[in-house]
Amino acid sequence: MMTDTISVSVEGAVKSFGGTPAVDGVSLKIRKGEFLTLLGPSGCGKTTLLNLIAGFLEPERGEIFIDGEAVTHVPPYRRSIGMVFQSYALFPHMTVAENVAFGLKMHKVPASEIGPRVAEALEMVRLPQMGPRTPRQLSGGQQQRVALARALVIKPSVILLDEPFSAIDKNLRADMQVELKRIQKRIGITTLFVTHDQSEALSLSDRIAVMSHGKIEQLSGPAELYRNPASSFVASFIGDINRMPCTVIGIEAGEVVLKANEHVLRLPKEHGAVDVLAAGSAALLFARPEELALVPAQGVEANLGEGVVDTHVYQGTHVDVYVRFGDGRAVRVRHPGFEALERFPAGTAVGVHANLAQAFVFPEK
Amino acid sequence: MQDRRPAYFAWFILPSVFLAVALVASLASLFQYSFREYIPGSIKVGDFTLANFGRMGSWVYLRVFIDSLLLSACTAAANLILGYPLAYSLVRSKSSLLKSTILITTIVPMFTGDIVRTYSWLVVLGKNGFINGTLKAAGIIDTPLELLYTPLGVTVALVQYSLPVMVIILAAAISHIDVAYEKAAASLGAGPLRVFWNVTLPLTMPGILSGTVTIFAWTLSAFATPQLVGGGKVNMISNMVYQLGFSNFDFPFAAVLSMAALALIFAILGLMSLGMRRLERVGLH
Repeated sequence: MMTDTISVSVEGAVKSFGGTPAVDGVSLKIRKGEFLTLLGPSGCGKTTLLNLIAGFLEPERGEIFIDGEAVTHVPPYRRSIGMVFQSYALFPHMTVAENVAFGLKMHKVPASEIGPRVAEALEMVRLPQMGPRTPRQLSGGQQQRVALARALVIKPSVILLDEPFSAIDKNLRADMQVELKRIQKRIGITTLFVTHDQSEALSLSDRIAVMSHGKIEQLSGPAELYRNPASSFVASFIGDINRMPCTVIGIEAGEVVLKANEHVLRLPKEHGAVDVLAAGSAALLFARPEELALVPAQGVEANLGEGVVDTHVYQGTHVDVYVRFGDGRAVRVRHPGFEALERFPAGTAVGVHANLAQAFVFPEK
Repeated sequence: MQDRRPAYFAWFILPSVFLAVALVASLASLFQYSFREYIPGSIKVGDFTLANFGRMGSWVYLRVFIDSLLLSACTAAANLILGYPLAYSLVRSKSSLLKSTILITTIVPMFTGDIVRTYSWLVVLGKNGFINGTLKAAGIIDTPLELLYTPLGVTVALVQYSLPVMVIILAAAISHIDVAYEKAAASLGAGPLRVFWNVTLPLTMPGILSGTVTIFAWTLSAFATPQLVGGGKVNMISNMVYQLGFSNFDFPFAAVLSMAALALIFAILGLMSLGMRRLERVGLH
C-alpha cells in the first residue's frame, strides 16, 4: 500500500446496532485530494461509515487509518478531521468569526494567528463581511458556507460532509455544489461526502461508492457508474432506467443471447453480471431511456418489439414517451427536444429499438 | 388564511376562570387583612391601620426571610449540581437500564406523599437514625451528629423534594440541543470537558436559569419539610406565617408577611424572565 497517496483507509470495518450490521465488512481507500462520495438509500450504512471514520463510532472489527496512522480507537477530537453537518451545527451562542475561530483555539493556535486565519477562511467561502454576525442572521446557504470555513480552517487531513445540502433550498443547492467543488479543488483537500441524492453524487465526485445493506456495491467514477453498473441495484439506483424481464438462452462468441418480449437479443458480454447467468435462467434486462428509440412498427430495427404510445412527459430538454407493450408492461423512451410530442401522439403504434451496446443484464434475484 | 375557531372554544377557558376567581378572592381577602388592626387574643380584627407594615422591619422577621433565602439558594444550587449530571445521562445515555434507573430513583419520590417522605427523613437523620447508627457502628463517631432540626438536614430534605422537578426541567433543556453541536465541537478538537464547558453548558443556560429559579422560588414557600425536619429550630417564611396566624391568631401580620413573600417571589420570577430575554437575544431559545 502506498500510504503517501492514501489519505483515509478503512479495512474490513464492521459495525452493528442491536445485532443488525449497519456496516458489514467495508474496505475503502480514499486517495489524497480526492472527492469521494458515499451514495445510497437511507439505512444503507453510509452515515455509520462516516461516523466510524470521524470516530463517533468504534467498529467491532476492522481498522481505520488516517494519513497512514491507525486511528480505530482514537477519539474524534484527536483525529485530523473536519466535519460539516446537515443541520449546519453552527454554535448559536457565538458569532460567525467565533465559530470559525473555535477549532483554532481548541488546537492552541497562537492568538495572533487566529484573526488572519479566520478572515482568510471567511474570504474563501465568500463571506468576508459576516464575521461579527450571529449564525441566526444568516441564510441557510450562508450558514453552511460558514460551517465549511469552520471545518477547513483547522487544515484537517480529510473533510467529512454528512448530507450537507439536504436542508438547503433546492434553487440554492446547485450554487452550493459548485462552490464546494471550487473550494475543494483549489485547496486540494481529501473529501468524503455522504448523500442519498444520486445527481449530487454524479456532479461532484471523483469517485462514488454506492452502498446497500452495509456493503459497497460498486466503487468507481461517475461515468463508469452510469455507463457500466456492476449490479442491478446500482443500475436501478443511478439515473433512470427501464427494467424488462428476459430469459437467458446462452452465452456464445463473446455475446449474451437472451429473449425479451419474444425477441432474441445479443448483448456484448461485458455488460452486466454475465458470469452468474445460466442458460435458461430468468434475468432482467436494463436499458436507459436515452438508449431506447422509437422506430416504425414491424421494422427490423424494433428489437424490443412493438407497442402503443401511452403518455408523454415533457421535461423541457427532452420528452419521455411511455410505450405500452401487448403484455401491459411499459417502457420509457427519451427523445431530445419536443418533436416527439407531435410525431408520436398517444395511441400511435411504434416499434422500440434498444442500443444493446449500452444495455445490461443481471440475474433476477 | 383567517383563523376561524368554532365559538364554543371560548368555553374552554371556563376552568381557568374558576381558578382565577378563587385565587383573586383569597388574595383580596389576604390583602384586606394586612390593613386591619390586630386584637390580641381574638380571631376578630379591628379597624384600618398601617401599623402592621411597620413591624416588618423588625430583625426577628427579617432574619427568617434571610434564612429562607439562604436555604432556598443552597437548595437550588445543590439541585443544579446533582440534577445536571442526572438529567444529562437521562437524555444522552444509550443504556436503557441506566435511563430507567435514573428515572425511577429521581421521579418516583415525587409520587410518595409529603408526610411519608418527610417522616422518612426523620428516621434517616435522627439521633439514632440510619446515618448516625451506621457511622457509630463503623466506629467513625462516638456522639451522634446533629442532623435533624438543623439547616443542613432541612436542606437535604428539600433537595430530595425538589430534585425531580429540576431533573425534568434540565432534561427538557438538554434534549433540545442537537447532538450535532457537540459532535461539531469534538471534530474541531475539543475534548469532552471542553465540549461541555464551551458548548453544552452555554446552550443549556436557559434550562439552568429556569430550573434554578423555579426551585428557588418553590423552596422559598416550603412548609411541611422545614416544619417537620426543622422541628421549630429551622423556620422558613411559611412556618413563621403559620405560627403567627394559628398560634397567635395575628392574621393581619401573617397577611403582611405573606404579601411580602409573594412580592419577593414575583420579583425573582421577574428577574428570571429578564434574564431569559437576554439569553434569547444572544440566539438561544
